[in-house]
Amino acid sequence: MTDMTAVSTETQPPAPWPDDASLAAASHGGPMIELRGVSKEFLGDRSSTTTTHALDNISLTVNEHEFITVIGPSGCGKTTLLRIVAGLIPYDSGQVLVKGKPVTGPGPDRAVVFQSFALLPWATVLENVAFGLETRGIPRAEREEQARVLIKTVGLAGFESRLPRHLSGGMQQRVGLARALAVNPDILLMDEPFGAIDEQTRRIMQEELLRIWGYRRKTVLFVTHSMEEAVLLADRVILMSPRPGRVHEIIDVPLPRPRGRETERTREFTDIKELLWDKLRVMQTV
Amino acid sequence: MLVAFLTFWEVAARLAHNIGIATFSDTMVAAWDLMFGNGRIWEAMLNSNAALVLGFAISAVTAVPLGLAAGRSRILDRALSPYTAILLAIPVAPLVPIAITAFGLSLAARVSIVILFAVIFIYVNTRAGVRSVDQRLVEMAHAFGASERTIWTKVVIPSAVPAMFAGLRIGLGRALTGMVAVELLLVATGVGKLLLEYRDRLQPAYVFATVLFVIAEALLLLELARFIERKVAPWND
Repeated sequence: MTDMTAVSTETQPPAPWPDDASLAAASHGGPMIELRGVSKEFLGDRSSTTTTHALDNISLTVNEHEFITVIGPSGCGKTTLLRIVAGLIPYDSGQVLVKGKPVTGPGPDRAVVFQSFALLPWATVLENVAFGLETRGIPRAEREEQARVLIKTVGLAGFESRLPRHLSGGMQQRVGLARALAVNPDILLMDEPFGAIDEQTRRIMQEELLRIWGYRRKTVLFVTHSMEEAVLLADRVILMSPRPGRVHEIIDVPLPRPRGRETERTREFTDIKELLWDKLRVMQTV
Repeated sequence: MLVAFLTFWEVAARLAHNIGIATFSDTMVAAWDLMFGNGRIWEAMLNSNAALVLGFAISAVTAVPLGLAAGRSRILDRALSPYTAILLAIPVAPLVPIAITAFGLSLAARVSIVILFAVIFIYVNTRAGVRSVDQRLVEMAHAFGASERTIWTKVVIPSAVPAMFAGLRIGLGRALTGMVAVELLLVATGVGKLLLEYRDRLQPAYVFATVLFVIAEALLLLELARFIERKVAPWND
């Protein structure tokens, strides 16, 4: 199996993005995502009357170009939160605003990277990356050209005509990332994107993500269950508590960028990680 | 394996001394005669296959769309479920006389029997294929703003293709069964007529040879279906 490490990334210069002009001008640093008192309940089985209080009165503001990670014990509703912002599931009460407008469903300003990769098994890497452009009715030649640029960006040049099952997990998620970036969204919603990838590959993927984010600062909402990952990537870590899912605390991560492996060896990194662990430890019921 | 089987056949048939059992070598001679001697197999096959081709084609063009629709529409699925249950549960052979009563000793009668044999398996498998679509892929398509139409053409139908083809293969086998069954039971024509005639004339080698032709056709058709499937859904093997 071809491994992630076989993909050379140093040789690839930061490729230009599909529409390059917009970003520098449009940067206002204002709120990109706003949640105001958002609650969500899941009904139990048809037979039972129990409901799960997935989210309770969540309020949160994510600014433009911010990298936010969301962490918390299982059952704290972090994935539910992300899916609501993505417009994939409705919420019961409160308000969810993206760029000041209420969320009523998925939109071109947001793109999702899924934990399960969610690649079409019958479609090539190129077709998968171009999928979001295809749904928008962009002609084949144009969307494939854009897709090729993003394939290069994520270090998969040369794999365009492969099928997903011929790729390792890490490479499949590169495809997932390229597909999300290809539609040039304002916001990247990442749902434990590296959760299904082995440890070594995950570390490489984290560095790759930071590299790509470094020259095009999308607003990112990133759900994870890894403390290292949460601290390494984020400007702010949202710590959630379970049942009902609430924002327990928001922790600033003032570590300098660009970050990399050496960041993890600094005193500051360790301090924040330990702080996070202390808080998580209290909630963790094993 | 094949050689062992053929040897066994030859030896066992010789030892049996049964007038109803033809040896392998006699069968081959008869097959040669059916093809190049009296040449009767071609006309019989053509005649029989008219019912097969028509019946299978009608089955496929009704069952595939219905299966796709029922896989995604709860209302349609509920509406169809009593009929599919009946078609699945009952043996089809007793329906042959009914078809004859309705259509007479015609091609239409034979076609309708082929349909009764084949249609349900194509429908059930196609429906199951749609049902088994990975919901995470559907969600992904939603997240990227896909319309219902795009979800159908780009996610649901490709997902259902392997099960659909499995249904078509099973349906094909059943259609062949139906084709021969109706000819043996009531409308003596085509391959069925040959079988009955040679049986009555105590020519078992010719009966065996005719059966071999039916088997050969079945294998050929299944291989063709598999070939088409590989072309249409190459990600599945």
